[in-house]
Amino acid sequence: MPEQRLIDGRDLLPPEPLQLALEELASLAPGEELTMLLRCEPLPLYSILEKNGFSYRSDRKPDGTSEVRIRKA
Amino acid sequence: MQPALSFEQAPPISVPYRFFLTAPVFGAVAGLVLAWFGPVALQSRWSPGALAMTHLIVVDFMLQAMCGSLLQFVAVVAGNNIWRPHLVASLVHPMITAGAVFLATAFLLEQPILFLVAALVFAAALGLFLTVMAIALLRTPARGMSIHILRLAVFGLLVTVALGATLAVTLGLQADAATTWSLLAMINVHVAWGLAGWALMLVIGVSILVVPMFQLTPAYPDWMTRALPAGLFLILCLWSLQLFAPKDTVQAWQSGVALAGMLLAGAYAITTLWLQSRRRRRLTDATFILWRVAMLSLLAFAMSWVIFDLVPQLGDHSRAPLWLGVLALPGVFLSVITGMLYKIMPFLNWLHLQQQGGSAIPPPNMKQMIPEASMRRQMWLHITALGLLLAAVLWPALASTAGLAFFASCIWLEWNLIGAARVYARFRDKIRAAAVAQHGTPPI
Repeated sequence: MPEQRLIDGRDLLPPEPLQLALEELASLAPGEELTMLLRCEPLPLYSILEKNGFSYRSDRKPDGTSEVRIRKA
Repeated sequence: MQPALSFEQAPPISVPYRFFLTAPVFGAVAGLVLAWFGPVALQSRWSPGALAMTHLIVVDFMLQAMCGSLLQFVAVVAGNNIWRPHLVASLVHPMITAGAVFLATAFLLEQPILFLVAALVFAAALGLFLTVMAIALLRTPARGMSIHILRLAVFGLLVTVALGATLAVTLGLQADAATTWSLLAMINVHVAWGLAGWALMLVIGVSILVVPMFQLTPAYPDWMTRALPAGLFLILCLWSLQLFAPKDTVQAWQSGVALAGMLLAGAYAITTLWLQSRRRRRLTDATFILWRVAMLSLLAFAMSWVIFDLVPQLGDHSRAPLWLGVLALPGVFLSVITGMLYKIMPFLNWLHLQQQGGSAIPPPNMKQMIPEASMRRQMWLHITALGLLLAAVLWPALASTAGLAFFASCIWLEWNLIGAARVYARFRDKIRAAAVAQHGTPPI
């Protein structure tokens, strides 16, 4: 079972969530998944992921939280 | 090793920074104009000094900062690249700067030819800017209320510029504007679209995203993010009908339309203050306080308007519009802009340095970009200047003192922003030097 990594960025000030995501992505192995919880759609992050070989899925939770699941494509 | 990540959405940092670094300079010039003219400038809203100051603030300070922010914000939030942002900025920025100088000088010297030149320069600069922004905002695949509100704001700027250029040409040709529309009605509609349709609409569109994000507040209620811009837009359309009313008559419905607008503005201010009071982390930085000052000023503006409407002895006073002008311009918009610049520039510094240096040379902490103590001191000077400007409307003898305080506040803001730009330049050079040492070529 691959390790689950989680960043809860809901109470962090920008750019802290992005900063933590970059650190985690640097060591994300194939098969591993990084989950981010945010209060907004992280459009700059999506652009970074697309251009750097990561796939992601984003879901909007009923409380307004965006849950972004990221893997190495 | 951190991968070399791409941040292609963001335009080059020089695109927004040229606008941001120019804006406070002209605020300082506006302060000097008031200090020089003294009480004469505050006799009425039509005095050359008051008109010059107003346009130095709205066209140079506000428009510069807002154009720079919009170029950056739309590129990132709308998720698509703006057409040749560097070229657009290189053309639009000097033209707006020159246009503002022509316009302010035209008011000060009452030179008709300068109004014509200003109208021509603004029409060219903002015609290009509006076309590029409209294409980016209409073609974006991104959805959400912020995008809709930004579209409305860009339309608001279009109406403001069209009417402003028409007014400037009218003054330039010394023509009788009343041949088609009443001059006063045109000015009323121009001011309303400029302040509410462009500036306030943009602040609302941006605040829906940045207040919860940078101040960790709950989100704005969904119904409000829909009702507020739609209501404001409808009110502005109704307000514009006065262009077609019989000349030089004040229509009874105008007062009702304006009061509805004040109700909306007040509701937005109260909601923002309420959200701020429910923030999840008790951070009280300069941006937070400046947004609070802006929202309290907006509330005071709406309440003053209602009082002026109910008590004609006050509302008809020649300095009543100046009171509203001080609350709106330095009070609401310059407070918001200053607060946002104190967040945006450190953030952009970080983003661009992160892109260039990666983990090898990590960028400095956000808090190191502009010293917090310096931001707070400038913020208090801004609040003092705002208080003095309001006092000077009541006691014009204070005009020169208020002008000097406002000048000092703008210069300090400029100093802080230059400091942030210098931090960026220093680290960029460090990253380049390290890359040259390692590979023999600087990073792109």
